Amino acid sequence: MSDEHVTLEKAYPPAGGLEQSASSAVYDPEAPARRGGRFWSARRVPAAVLALLVLAASGLLLYDVAAVHARQQAMSWRRSLAEELASSRVDSVPVLAGASFAALLGVVLIVMALTPGLRTVLSMRRESPEVRAGLERSAAELVLRDRAMDVSGVQSVRVLVGRGKVRARAEAHFRDLDLVRADVDAALDEGIRQLGLDRPLSLSVHVRRPAKR
Amino acid sequence: MLRIVNRVVVGVIGLVLLVLGLGALVGGFDLPYRWGFSMPSWWPWRVGGDAVLSEQDRTRWTGEGWWWPVVFAVLALLVVLSLWWLLAQLRQHRLKEVLVETPGAEGETGPAAERSAALLRGRALERVLAADAEELPGVDRARAVLLGKRRRPRVRVGLTLAAHAEPGPEMVRLRTGALTRARTSAGLEELPAEVRLRSSKHRAERVS
Repeated sequence: MSDEHVTLEKAYPPAGGLEQSASSAVYDPEAPARRGGRFWSARRVPAAVLALLVLAASGLLLYDVAAVHARQQAMSWRRSLAEELASSRVDSVPVLAGASFAALLGVVLIVMALTPGLRTVLSMRRESPEVRAGLERSAAELVLRDRAMDVSGVQSVRVLVGRGKVRARAEAHFRDLDLVRADVDAALDEGIRQLGLDRPLSLSVHVRRPAKR
Repeated sequence: MLRIVNRVVVGVIGLVLLVLGLGALVGGFDLPYRWGFSMPSWWPWRVGGDAVLSEQDRTRWTGEGWWWPVVFAVLALLVVLSLWWLLAQLRQHRLKEVLVETPGAEGETGPAAERSAALLRGRALERVLAADAEELPGVDRARAVLLGKRRRPRVRVGLTLAAHAEPGPEMVRLRTGALTRARTSAGLEELPAEVRLRSSKHRAERVS
């Protein structure tokens, strides 16, 4: 292995194993940890946009239909739209493009309805049935970065927290890279456990020398 | 509740768009003819030459007596429902007050129980809870919002973590400290809480 680039990857055993008993001093051992489950978004923004569109379309149509019944002229857009719809064929390019767009939008909306969303929130371990907690991934990144910065030899570090994996890239300007890597690994290992997450994150650490200037 | 309504309506609208889009595509590409199947006779788009909405289809029922009342009713219903749906997204059902039942109220019914209960202002409880949470060493700012019913409130808490915070232990301290105190001081049997932990951006620095 090259001396200038050290990589280590390891996965943590699921909660309830050895790692769990090590932290039982911090957490209440009488309350069994329950799976918290994902946070589900209320989908307010797509709902508001759709509501606005439906409101505008139905309101406009209602107004115009009522106006026609009060013996006034239909608005010109409605007559031209009716002509347009009657004269365009289903196999014309604009109609096919519109149909594809509608089908695609439909798929997007169905996916939005069925998936939890809030991918930036990591569920935390649920120690009591009435308290649910979620940690933003950006907050986890900052917490872990602060921990990695405390390792001597680390000049700078970038931590990326995914939904299942933590990737840390550190630059060490002194000490042996293997030693720094081992220390960063231990520090982040402890840091991940202190995040108190529902599902354990796996960790990969890369350490290298800063680019020479 | 709002979450379920939103997801059901968004899903239904998505399903309608998907069916209409696919239906037009099937007709537009002449798939029934090419693949040898047939669409039902009422289906408007059976061959590529069909109009999107023909004059005949559009005015099919305009002569019937029931047509215009139904059009008006459906459109009016759509306007009202979409307006309600839109407003529901904008407002939050924040709880204004919490019913605090004093121990004497237990077992009693009727006006007596009503008299021995007190109303606690929701804002006051929110403020106390937030201030209590901000006392934690790893918490910079805290915000609490009471939701739910007067007798069964729940609380949503947002925490902004300070540098070098430990989220897991911080949550244990919040649960056993501020949340428990809020629950017991309001005399509640339970206070379900949803906590979101964020972090304020800060520079990387060493603590020596």
